[in-house]
Amino acid sequence: MPAKTLLLALLLAGTAQAAAPAYDFFICANINRNYVIGSKITTLNGVYQRTDAGEWRHIGYNDTGITAVAFDPRNHNVSYTTAMNGLWRTLDGGQHWRMCNSWDMTEGRDVAVDPNAPDHVYVALTDGVAVSTDRGQTLVRRENGLPARGKYTQAIKVDRTRAGRVLAACEIGIYLTEDGAQNWRQVLPTKETVNDVQQSPHDPKLWLAITQSAGAWISRDGGVTWSNLPGVPADRALYNVTFDVTNPQRFAIGSWAKGVLTSEDGGKTWQTRNAGLPEGHCVWRVGVDPAGRLYASVVKETLYVSDDFGRTWKKDALEGSLVNSFLILPRAAK
Amino acid sequence: MKMILACLALATAFSTPAAAQPSFTGPVPTPPADTRADTLRRAYLARVNEVIDTTLAAVAPGQPLSREQLLAKLVRHQDAAQVSQRVLELLREPQSGDMFWMFPWTAIAYLGRDQLSPAARAAIREAWRTYFPLRGDTENHWAMYYSSLYLMAELYPDEPGETWFNGKSSAENLAEARGYLIHWLDLSTTIGQGEFNPTHYIGEYAIPMLYLAAWAKDPAMRQRGQMKLDWLMADLAASTLHGVLLGPNARTDDTSVIEHWNGLVSYFSWTMFGNTPPPANYGGWGVYFALAAENYQLPEVIRRIAVDRAGDYVQRDLKRSRQRWRYSDVAMAPICKTSYRRRDYAVGSYQGGLADPIQTHVWDVTWAVPDPRGVHNTMFSVHPLSSDQVMQTYFTELPDAMIDGLASAGKPSYDVPDKLLGCSPFEQVFQDLDTVIALYDIPAGTRFPHINGFFSRDLVNVTEDPSGWIFARGGNTYLAYRPLAGYEWQQRLGYRHLPSTGGGYKWERVDQGDKLLYSPHRQNGTIVQAASASEFKSFADFQAAINALPLTFQLSPTPAVKMTTLRGRRVAFTYGQAPVVDGAPLDYTRWKLFEGPHLNAEKGSRQLTITHDRLTRVLDFNTLTITDQVNE
Repeated sequence: MPAKTLLLALLLAGTAQAAAPAYDFFICANINRNYVIGSKITTLNGVYQRTDAGEWRHIGYNDTGITAVAFDPRNHNVSYTTAMNGLWRTLDGGQHWRMCNSWDMTEGRDVAVDPNAPDHVYVALTDGVAVSTDRGQTLVRRENGLPARGKYTQAIKVDRTRAGRVLAACEIGIYLTEDGAQNWRQVLPTKETVNDVQQSPHDPKLWLAITQSAGAWISRDGGVTWSNLPGVPADRALYNVTFDVTNPQRFAIGSWAKGVLTSEDGGKTWQTRNAGLPEGHCVWRVGVDPAGRLYASVVKETLYVSDDFGRTWKKDALEGSLVNSFLILPRAAK
Repeated sequence: MKMILACLALATAFSTPAAAQPSFTGPVPTPPADTRADTLRRAYLARVNEVIDTTLAAVAPGQPLSREQLLAKLVRHQDAAQVSQRVLELLREPQSGDMFWMFPWTAIAYLGRDQLSPAARAAIREAWRTYFPLRGDTENHWAMYYSSLYLMAELYPDEPGETWFNGKSSAENLAEARGYLIHWLDLSTTIGQGEFNPTHYIGEYAIPMLYLAAWAKDPAMRQRGQMKLDWLMADLAASTLHGVLLGPNARTDDTSVIEHWNGLVSYFSWTMFGNTPPPANYGGWGVYFALAAENYQLPEVIRRIAVDRAGDYVQRDLKRSRQRWRYSDVAMAPICKTSYRRRDYAVGSYQGGLADPIQTHVWDVTWAVPDPRGVHNTMFSVHPLSSDQVMQTYFTELPDAMIDGLASAGKPSYDVPDKLLGCSPFEQVFQDLDTVIALYDIPAGTRFPHINGFFSRDLVNVTEDPSGWIFARGGNTYLAYRPLAGYEWQQRLGYRHLPSTGGGYKWERVDQGDKLLYSPHRQNGTIVQAASASEFKSFADFQAAINALPLTFQLSPTPAVKMTTLRGRRVAFTYGQAPVVDGAPLDYTRWKLFEGPHLNAEKGSRQLTITHDRLTRVLDFNTLTITDQVNE
């Protein structure tokens, strides 16, 4: 490469780096120790946003069981949460909320907004999948191709490259729709629940999935075919998987029994990163913030944070918390 | 288990002695000999008023009113200004309690609608906008949630979504609540009651149904409330022995499973039938029923089923398991219940398998006692299942944490090897009259690969016979227990609740004098045969009769029993196969919703016929009609 071209390339790379998108970082947390339905809630639970000052700011309503949050990419004042009651929506940044579902849907497990059709919202339910095409005002079940039994859906993710392309992590495998949930087909069969599925922020063809009893899986063709990641143990349940927006080679997995597992070579090798975490691990979820810091939510403990991708850990805030999900997404104009 | 919190709260409320002795410390009540309607009604209202009186008697001068006390004052139309002020104080605090918050505040809103100050009423209304209650994950949660929401939407009609916590208008909330309540009634009147025959959770159903019966503006919903309350009380009447609820139970707890009387359900037996003492502090929740109980009239036919048992009878009922989200071929499994009631004892069971993930009690023999308080008058065995996957079948949780957290969530025995509570997919049960055969085939690798048999401290003459039978006497009942595999005796420790300041529940294990028959064999079985002492000249004669019964069994390759029962029936039961009685296989698919001398309903019918002697009441949910008939 000629020197001038190299210089230009470096300059462009620098420009691109400087223009890298800013991200917002959210968690859904239960901060009530020993909470039982009907008992006294003494703390603020639900969605928190990490501020630029590094503090956790509570937004929305106080609910111990919010499992996931999703935002309209056009306007972050429009957001959706899944919780025990089902699906909630706000149109005004959390001032007012509406429970979108009726009695025939409950215990939302996950929610996703289609970035290419942002009025379309997909909800993972205990007994299948529901879809809204009007920003949550109405919800309908779209389960053609899902099994009559075995459609418990733990996680649902929309492919950001194409409207209506969605992967659902279900009791007996991963299901894919390419027509907005009109039709589903199984792309990975499993015996027990697929607990998480995630799309790489760097390569939209790259997906990771983790399971209850079949280890971790990787897809390099947009979730159509899957291969097992041999370096990840399959003898105990894995709870979630995450990418690092600052480094395409870095993945992390959270597990109650195994603690934190990381890979820094795109999933070829995996390391256990539990030194400095409480004995017994009891990791509920892991997440990576926009600066590449790795977080681990440890049950009945607190949120732990690592500046070196799990080699060392220190306590973060939210004593007694249980983080049900981490969400990182490009900052919106509103 | 939330009930325990309520009990503790009310224990404080009742700490000041009432003016009159409350029935929970008084003698065992006797149903009145005079059964004229006005006498029975007076007796019913006296019991109801006792609860209100006791609640009011516990009001301490200068101390803030509890929620229950202010409700009692509203019932009596006392001190409206003080009550209004207290409502404002209570609502200034952050609210919590979910559906357990909703129904008390519904009661306050209705009882106070013509008594509370405008400010207090406005504060209640505002709370329904600002507080987000969880809908919960059980049928009892939803019964409370939707009954409350229905009534509040009727109380505040035509209001927009911005005025409700869930952003839905009054009309939307009313329609949603109505839709669910009708759906739930459809389920329970066609394929069976979920959370059937609970020792505590009956309150979570009976109270919301009473509130609908009392306060619903729509006469159809009012009728549904009353009819469902009749249905619940009829089921209770037929499932009790002298007021004490019998097994099986979809949900009970570590105390009630061995002391059947000790549950909120005995408050309902006391209130409705007057034939057993109420539990301490009226089970904690009695006041929530009492405050509207004058709006309910127990049908005489139901009362008679509870208190007037002419002879022995068999009742078969179809119930329903809790909703299964995954790891099951069916969303709700049928529970085929068999009950045999006699004067001295009762035997009850369902066919085994999973009903509720934690608190089910599958089968037992329960003998009658003069005063059931503190008596462990029951015998049974269980496989102490503890399973991540079973928990995940019913809950939306990830594995590991669920079991870990159960102890602090009020279920201390779930992962304890000597537990007596719970059902198992590896237990199959067959009952014919007063014979029960429970077979176990527990896969290798199962946590707790053994079975526990419960031997009460209240048994006498416990005798290990060389034949392999263990004989005992409980009250006027002779019992024979045959373990099919080797065993050893262990001291069985009970659970005593401790105060907890840090949230959650705390317990200690205490020796209550009971014994555990611990049998560490995966392929296993129990046979229990009961009989009245009056049927034999002596205990020795009973033993001889049992020893003379033809009996063969095997444990491997599959547990199986062939025997002739004390009643002369030839029964054969092999694990995994239909039981056979006198050559005919038992067909559980033919189980009716109710079948017996007192309760009858076809599957899918939405219609229950309640009969006692000359009295008949038909509850027809198809037409929302109640039909009474008296035969000359």
